Amino acid sequence: MRAPLCFALVLSGLAATTPTLATSELPLESIALERDWLNLGHYHADTLGSGFTSQADDNEFFLSPDGKHSPYAELVATLDAIQQPGTGDSHASCRFPARDQWLRQRLDLPDSQATCPAYQEWTDTLNTESVTLVFAASYLNSPSSMFGHTFIRLDPPSDDHTTDLLLANTISYAADAAAHDSEFLFAYKGIFGGYPGITTVQPYYEKIRLYSDIEHRDLWEYQLNLTPDEVDTMLAHAWEIQGRNFDYYFFDENCAYRLLAMIDIARPGTNLIDEVNTHAIPSDTVRWVVDKDLVANIHYRPSAATSISYSLDQLSEQQRTLAAAIAYGYVKVDGPELAQLEPQQRSSVLDATYDYIRYQSEADSWPREFAAPLSHQILVARSQIEQTDVPPTPPAPEIRDDQGHDTFRMSLSGGRWDDRNFAQLTLRPAYHDLLDPPEGYRQGAELEFLRLDLRYYTDNDELQLEHITGVSIRSLSPRNPFFSPLSWQVGFGGRRTDTGTERVLAPYLEGGAGGSWNLTSSLQAFAMATADLEVDDDFRRGYDAAPGADLGLLHQSRYASVLAGIKTKAWIVSSQHRQDQAYLNGNLHFGRSVSLFAEFTREHHYDRYRNLWQVGLHAYF
Amino acid sequence: MKKLIAGAILLGASTVTFAQPGCGVGAMIFKGQSGVAPHVLAATTNGTFGNQTFGMTSGTLGCNTNQSVQSMAMYMDSNVDKIARDMSRGEGENLDTLAVLLNIEPADRDTFRGLLQDNFASIFPSSETTSGEAVEAIVSLMEQNEALAKYVAA
Repeated sequence: MRAPLCFALVLSGLAATTPTLATSELPLESIALERDWLNLGHYHADTLGSGFTSQADDNEFFLSPDGKHSPYAELVATLDAIQQPGTGDSHASCRFPARDQWLRQRLDLPDSQATCPAYQEWTDTLNTESVTLVFAASYLNSPSSMFGHTFIRLDPPSDDHTTDLLLANTISYAADAAAHDSEFLFAYKGIFGGYPGITTVQPYYEKIRLYSDIEHRDLWEYQLNLTPDEVDTMLAHAWEIQGRNFDYYFFDENCAYRLLAMIDIARPGTNLIDEVNTHAIPSDTVRWVVDKDLVANIHYRPSAATSISYSLDQLSEQQRTLAAAIAYGYVKVDGPELAQLEPQQRSSVLDATYDYIRYQSEADSWPREFAAPLSHQILVARSQIEQTDVPPTPPAPEIRDDQGHDTFRMSLSGGRWDDRNFAQLTLRPAYHDLLDPPEGYRQGAELEFLRLDLRYYTDNDELQLEHITGVSIRSLSPRNPFFSPLSWQVGFGGRRTDTGTERVLAPYLEGGAGGSWNLTSSLQAFAMATADLEVDDDFRRGYDAAPGADLGLLHQSRYASVLAGIKTKAWIVSSQHRQDQAYLNGNLHFGRSVSLFAEFTREHHYDRYRNLWQVGLHAYF
Repeated sequence: MKKLIAGAILLGASTVTFAQPGCGVGAMIFKGQSGVAPHVLAATTNGTFGNQTFGMTSGTLGCNTNQSVQSMAMYMDSNVDKIARDMSRGEGENLDTLAVLLNIEPADRDTFRGLLQDNFASIFPSSETTSGEAVEAIVSLMEQNEALAKYVAA
């Protein structure tokens, strides 16, 4: 896998270091392998063999019948097509303005004679001066957005009064899922391929509506420092790929990946794509963009949910109660309770109440017959209060998502299980668990993929696969008088399980649902009802299932995270017995790249008590 | 989760080629910024407020109104609850967008915001007011205002 990639890198390195060579004397074969041309055609070195394949899955994207696999054939065909006489929207120079521009510059050809009314009108209406990369924070409740989402915003010139960013256009790349696909199919096709990926253009306010109002995700806006020429190149390439199909894969060829490719094309030599190895997590891709000094400035746009929580927090206890009473219809908008408040306080209560009702209509589907008249009364009352401060906007978090700990984690630890000592190596490609440094991640959220725990027992020199996590997701969302989200968890993989006589590696599926409550701002208590399923032929019936419960406390802060609680599972199918656990896990964070962790679990299972001790280090890459 | 998937679908569905309905294709183009702007194909939300039933095809505004009013009407149609909120407060980014769409000079924007806040109850007489009716009310309020009349002249 490595070899062809290095080959490509060497080539591009050569091209970059020999600019003095008379370009027209270079054979087209080698120009076709230059980095910029490969980028324009979305070509990648094949994993096997020395060939190339374009990630575009659309015949319309190629001018040569061999274009999908031959950068050279495509270059020759493009070169021929752009030099054909003629003009108009269907001319190759108009269909592929970025390729046209690059080839003419590279080969010292005269400018194209073709005029392209459609492309011209498109760029005129987009009226773009600068480009902003927008990152929608991760969102556990959606399989396609767990790692966040990125898209590009095309900002109009900022120097006149007709500028408005809400009306600015965005370019995004997303899976074009069929409406009737179930969530499982959605996840399956997303991972293994099967969805076309489509590049679309939409105004920013539509994006805000989707991400901020419906999904309650904060948006981070990273304005890129692209020059006007670079912006033009990006648009020219966007024109080439819009509507073209690139099959969509959640992990690598996803929304973030395609945008990196566009930035690489806009600013040759950036080579962001090289950072991608097995997966492109949107927050990681933002990191790379920041690291490559592509960002001019950063702006935070809190979601509707963040804003409403914040403005409720700003109210006094009494005002909060009043807001709730109005929202639920116990107190009338024109009643004495509100009338007696000072105008400033009255407007604060009305603003918070309206935003809360709007949120609940969205999130909890409050009936319109109730919400609409009440909203109207509130707004009419609010419009009669003039010259007061509008609701305060939430401050940007100190640590942005792209500044959180790196997502690949490697851990080394030593421990003792019952009377056996072991050393353990854990690898986790992605992404965050409850005990990792919390800054830059959602509170109470955990998402792990493909974690591997390997144990080496010292007493008999035995190497054992202790646990392999396919997926583990936990979402502990605190409930309060205003918000009542469900906390839930789901996971599957393979783990060591006790059959009473030995510990065997058994596939498992687990899930749970319950509630969580904040005790302080960094401490929450949770109660979950759980269900477990394990499969193994050592079980009497080949599988076993257990309803259970998990009660615990979770503390998360920048210095330390602690998870403690008790768990019980009642195995009911193959063997009828209980498995009870008390657990205490603590991590001490040294910055956001290293944590010291310790774990103690005491378990009662098959009429005996056993202890697990473990101490080690997590390193984040 | 369903909603998100619906959102993802919409992303796919609302590509840049739209049959622009109704009169005046140019009217759909937000001034200088978004010839490609999709219109009311917005991800559907349970709007708490205002009826988003203003149809571009039925065009309550007719075809003789000026383009900025048409653009403003379109924006109102998909953002009516946020605009109503900003109006009642006398400020906010959605209100600013409205002013931009109407080409209102910065010097006149305070007057614009004040006018809409003061007359909120007549712009939205009930919770069933459609965005089209609200647009008409705004236009007629502006027509009667010395400083703002020029922005809505047909």
